Amino acid sequence: MRVEIEVGGRVRVVALEHRGKALVVSLDGIERVVEAAALGGHRWSLRFPDSGAQHAVVVTPGQEPGSVDLLVDGLSIPARLRPAGREAAKASGGPRGAGKVIAPMPGKVVKVLVTVGQQVTARQGVAVIEAMKMENELRAGRDGTVRDVLVAEGALVDAGAPLVVIE
Amino acid sequence: MPEVQLRLVRKVLVANRGEIAVRVIRAARESGLQSVAVFADCDRGARHMRMADEAWPLGGNAPGESYLRIDKIVDAARASGADAVHPGYGFLAENPEFADACESAGLTFIGPSATAIRRMGSKTAAREVAVACGVPVVPGTAAPIPADAPEADVLREADRIGYPLMLKAVAGGGGKGMRVVSRPEDLHGALRAARSEAQTAFGNGAVFVERRLARPRHIEIQLLGDRHGTVVPFVERECSVQRRHQKVLEESPSPSVDPTLRAAIAEAARKVAASVGYSNAGTIEFLLDEDGRFYFLEMNTRLQVEHPITEAVTGVDLVRWQFRLADGERLTLTTADTLVPRGHAIEARIYAEDPDTGFMPSPGRILHLRPPSGPGVRDDGGYDALGEVPIFYDSLVSKLIAWAETREQAVARLRRALAEYEIAGIRTTLPFFQWLLEDRHFLEGHVDTTFLDRTLASRNGQPFAMPTASAEDAAAIVAALQLNGAGPQAPSRPVSAWTRGARLEALR
Repeated sequence: MRVEIEVGGRVRVVALEHRGKALVVSLDGIERVVEAAALGGHRWSLRFPDSGAQHAVVVTPGQEPGSVDLLVDGLSIPARLRPAGREAAKASGGPRGAGKVIAPMPGKVVKVLVTVGQQVTARQGVAVIEAMKMENELRAGRDGTVRDVLVAEGALVDAGAPLVVIE
Repeated sequence: MPEVQLRLVRKVLVANRGEIAVRVIRAARESGLQSVAVFADCDRGARHMRMADEAWPLGGNAPGESYLRIDKIVDAARASGADAVHPGYGFLAENPEFADACESAGLTFIGPSATAIRRMGSKTAAREVAVACGVPVVPGTAAPIPADAPEADVLREADRIGYPLMLKAVAGGGGKGMRVVSRPEDLHGALRAARSEAQTAFGNGAVFVERRLARPRHIEIQLLGDRHGTVVPFVERECSVQRRHQKVLEESPSPSVDPTLRAAIAEAARKVAASVGYSNAGTIEFLLDEDGRFYFLEMNTRLQVEHPITEAVTGVDLVRWQFRLADGERLTLTTADTLVPRGHAIEARIYAEDPDTGFMPSPGRILHLRPPSGPGVRDDGGYDALGEVPIFYDSLVSKLIAWAETREQAVARLRRALAEYEIAGIRTTLPFFQWLLEDRHFLEGHVDTTFLDRTLASRNGQPFAMPTASAEDAAAIVAALQLNGAGPQAPSRPVSAWTRGARLEALR
């Protein structure tokens, strides 16, 4: 099994192979024996027998499909599977995806600042979401025309919900 | 002097949620009192509810339909047979009508009298009290400026006081309705914004003008008062590490206060509180300028978020004392107990906010939780593992307090505890604190209220904590194992079938 995984913004090539009882991991082409134990409840224990280094790892699902959030020795490290080849461009959204303004967290839409047909410039505020007593202005990712406003003021939205479409 | 009531508290309703409700329930249990929790719909099953002896529903979610509803809380107290109410902090804690409503319903309000809340809750009235006690105040307007006062009047007041200045909501708190004005031409916009924010947040658009000190420290004095006229001040807390006027880290004692200054500030605070017959717990906030002069800022007529650091350096349980004082007991503490710090304590406020995206709120389900422990560490948390941090309330998840013999050792202990803290499922300010505790200015104790915002602005968005190469290797390997379905169970998040999709991808 060989996968490409984006870890902390860097692409790592990981191949896993069971040789007898040992797990041999090839990480960016370098082979190492690894002791990995899934402890249940999202917890893993990982040890590199060559150096003795050990890490307490917690792995939970990320916000997007194919992504996970890792906690390694208490530090958060996001990771994302890189789909191979042509699929990559589609999955990551490409230039079309950039036109959607997405709710970064669950909250209440307190203001919609644009209307359909309006011209907007990149970084212009398009909506205000309130969560945990704080108001956060969400901005356009690009220049363009507002094609769709998908939420009304007062609506409760989940993380990842599209709010405004810009073309 | 108010008459002493012989009405002993036996069962207390905690009109709050999260970590402070947990803290009060713990003190109630240790004091042999029954505890009653109240909960909004989204808090059914929350930690504070599960810890109490009884729990009564308020219905609704947003504060205005739940924890701010005086009628529902008084009804819950009646239904449960509680004889007292502890308000915690925030929500109704500084609302004199709530204190009145409790008293009229025959419930002991665990806090100061409604009269004291009214008097000291208005920033301008409180300033007058301080002036009458001979305590210096920051130069500013003597009376509130009504929301409809002409702008020319405000401009005249501003010219008299001098720039730079602060516009502040009379009823304010937590940085809301507060604006810095550097030049007269900026006054118009700032006044409009401050009035509108004050109106929205507190239902009162009145503001006042105060001179802005250059780089002040925020120092505060905890007080306890009994109903027999005694008020005892405690060792100061240093609360200068603030992000946008919100405290994020506090310590006691302050690195900039010596015993002489301590005695002077403590006596000023005691005098102000005693002059209004203050009883129960309260805190007076001061600004300390670069020359060591201090100015009265305001009084908080309640228990503070950061009270545990005072408990750590004095050994006094402030919440248990709140219960005793509400019963009419006399204070037996002396300044020898309360004004001589034993060691040093630091508190880090762990918020559900992502420091790497400009402190964006990060509510949601906590999928994994392991708080730190060990010598000198106290974790005042409000959530259980698998608990949900709702979007409706403030984002405080936990307060991590480290105590040690010296400041240096307390910093080392807090660092150690932060590294032990595991929270997954939501983002928190843990990495921010790991960065802050390495900052040279912080380590040298050179902080003022502008320190954190200045330092954060100069960082240019670098990540707050950098994992080691070995940790990144481990992350890549476990991610590959997990996405390959090698785990004992796929991590489950109810919203998506991501695992299946991811595994299919992985097999291509």
